[in-house]
Amino acid sequence: MEVRITEKENVISVAMVGRLDTAVSQEVAGKMQPVLDEAQKTIILDCKELSYISSSGLRIFLTVRKAAAAKGGKVIVRDINNEIRQVFMMTGFLNLFEIQES
Amino acid sequence: MAKKDSFNIAAALQGMMIIIVALLTVEASSLIQYFYSQRIIKEEAERRAQGQLDATELNINSIVDQVETAVRNNLWSASIQVTNPDSLWNLVRGIVKDNPVIYGSSIALMENYSKTEGRMFAPYAHREGNDIVFGQLGTEEYDYLSKEWFVKPLETGGGYWSEPYYDEGGGDMLMTTYSIPVKDRKGRTAAVLTADVSLDWLNSLLEGVQVYPNSFNMLVSRTGKIMLAPAETLVMQKTVQELAAQQDDSSTFNSINKAMLSGERGSVSFKYKGKVNYMFFNQVARTGWSMSIVIPHDEIYGSVNKMGKTVLLTQIIGILMLILVLWASLFRQKKMQEVTVSKNRIEDELKVARGIQMSMLPKILPPYPETSDVDMSAIIVPAKEVGGDLYDFFVRNEKMFFCIGDVSGKGVPASLVMAVTRSLFRTLAAHEISPQRIVTTMNESMSATNESNMFVTLFCGVLDLQSGHLRYCNAGHNAPYLVKADGPVQLSVEPNLPLAVLENTPYSEQEMDLTTGEGLFLYTDGLNEAEDSSLVQFGEKRLEKALNSILSASDQVKVMTDAVKIFVGGAPQSDDLTILYIKYMNNVDVETAERHLILHNDIQQIPQLADFIESVADLAHLDVGTTMSINLALEEAVSNVIMYAYPEGSDGLVDIEAIIRKDMLRFIISDNGIAFDPTAAPDADVNLDLEDRPIGGLGIFLVKNIMDTVSYQRSDGKNILTMTKKLS
Repeated sequence: MEVRITEKENVISVAMVGRLDTAVSQEVAGKMQPVLDEAQKTIILDCKELSYISSSGLRIFLTVRKAAAAKGGKVIVRDINNEIRQVFMMTGFLNLFEIQES
Repeated sequence: MAKKDSFNIAAALQGMMIIIVALLTVEASSLIQYFYSQRIIKEEAERRAQGQLDATELNINSIVDQVETAVRNNLWSASIQVTNPDSLWNLVRGIVKDNPVIYGSSIALMENYSKTEGRMFAPYAHREGNDIVFGQLGTEEYDYLSKEWFVKPLETGGGYWSEPYYDEGGGDMLMTTYSIPVKDRKGRTAAVLTADVSLDWLNSLLEGVQVYPNSFNMLVSRTGKIMLAPAETLVMQKTVQELAAQQDDSSTFNSINKAMLSGERGSVSFKYKGKVNYMFFNQVARTGWSMSIVIPHDEIYGSVNKMGKTVLLTQIIGILMLILVLWASLFRQKKMQEVTVSKNRIEDELKVARGIQMSMLPKILPPYPETSDVDMSAIIVPAKEVGGDLYDFFVRNEKMFFCIGDVSGKGVPASLVMAVTRSLFRTLAAHEISPQRIVTTMNESMSATNESNMFVTLFCGVLDLQSGHLRYCNAGHNAPYLVKADGPVQLSVEPNLPLAVLENTPYSEQEMDLTTGEGLFLYTDGLNEAEDSSLVQFGEKRLEKALNSILSASDQVKVMTDAVKIFVGGAPQSDDLTILYIKYMNNVDVETAERHLILHNDIQQIPQLADFIESVADLAHLDVGTTMSINLALEEAVSNVIMYAYPEGSDGLVDIEAIIRKDMLRFIISDNGIAFDPTAAPDADVNLDLEDRPIGGLGIFLVKNIMDTVSYQRSDGKNILTMTKKLS
């Protein structure tokens, strides 16, 4: 699981590549820590190459969302595939996140 | 006076006879039970051991994969950089740094390849604690040009896993090396690129998990060198062959050795220090290593012996009670000095006993999901005098096992034989799927101990609930009716002898296919031979007239019993009347496949679960979306077990069984961890605002949402979670 974090003009872009399953979630949560610290900025979670997410991955998404709410930042989830959209629907995440298509 | 005494003696003798017959039949059936339990337990041991071996192979392969991929990923850079030896230090450093599983890496140049670096040059990087340290391998003392890891890949022209060895420099560590030749841009063989892997993880992998408390694991290299064994002294010091020479059973050892090294998979039993052991083995194809699990005989069969004792104890208590009842009856008889009264008393008591037996016969099927495939109903209408009718049915592995039977004669002995027949059927059908073999074994047991010359007619069937395929064996019973839409027909039955008539009688099996809506109407002669007051029999014509495929099973049984009741009027019946009606209701023509996976309680094994689901999805022809959601549900359920079922730091297993049908997928996840019912957790509220949303709690919610049914069961110290997804 690859997580590419880049920052440009106060927008943090996090590109997730591969499967975000329980096995890798701890490692990914660690990589996201610096993003949480900067949650007053706009955070784009780029899911174009994210193929799969489990509940442990959803926890990470929710943690980012909560940190942004606390610090006055903004979270945009970009380009989720149909399967992940289904999971977002099931869990009510569609109402919690701003979802964009690029 | 003399007459009365002689009756008492006769009654006592009769009592003794009953006890002897009961004893013999009970013992015979428990012997059979013991034999079958042993076989089942051996199969279970084999299944567990091979499952363990498969899981270990998956683990080893995943490490092997990582190493091979890491080396191959650097092959291109190596071929570019090999002409510039100084740049190679950075290359080997990168390989070690980026791959925690690799202990050391080197790129060893061919003899005199470099003009600047001399005859041998092999930059080497390896771990020491958190640091990476460097060294050059090719020296006067260490001539790598003749080493196995260097020579073999050049011979084969491809990747090669070395024989395991003890690392000479870096302390006592068991290592193996993967090496692959490197060609430069001109296409000349320039060097060998290597990765050293410590085998410490193998120790923990194989030692951590034991199928049984005293079982142990062994890993043997391609040449028979022992890489891992319970006795530290054997490791790397000996080959299996040398070990064999020291044993009291060296020929067996040698044949194990041969089988293991030839790459076979299987099992063998051998004697070691006077005790019988079973060894299950399997080869890791990628490296040529052979793994085995050795389980002591006593460990496998311990539970059977314990079970045998319990069964024996219950039987002894039962027989003691029987003696007590008979003795009490005789005593009372003597006291009352009224022969007929006491005889009726015994009959009355045994009628009560038989009532208890009858109440043990199944009335309705337990609510398994499979049972929607079948609609059934059964009844016994007892006659005035005690008789010996019986029926039984149950579902095992999506097959319904059933029988109906009639013991010749009436009274006390018939009811005893009936009880024994029924328990024999239960015991045998629990392990056997062929009705012919069930009936044959029942006959062997019953005719061997048949002191009373009674016999039993029996129809025994096994109905596959998915396909409607019926296998049956008829031991002299009335032919059942097949109730089709266009009317009833008698099922063709071969004229086999009833049970308990003759030892070594061959029984033949027949088969047919039931289509949905068709019923099988089984009965005893109490039905067709029911008589009205002028001794006219109910007969087959009236019976056939009362059969109709439109009726549900319970309605059909009621229609039939009402018809008989009206026919006989108030005439007392001399024989039991038994009906068993089975209506096949499944219209899905499905095939079943099963897949099985065993994982350790290590969250890093989740990718293996994903591979497993992928293969199951292939079999079931699932689309991408369904595959992903099934994968998600399974990951949630399995990671829950991995993380919470076993105490932290302890090793445990998760067993995942997949049953694949056209119309549904079922997964059965079981573990030996602490009792926990995940389905009992309250559902997550997905409509809450962000502030109120808890971070966790979505796992089991997803499982319940994705699957159609999720049920939890705790049995035999196991958590068993069964989940089903309907497929359209």
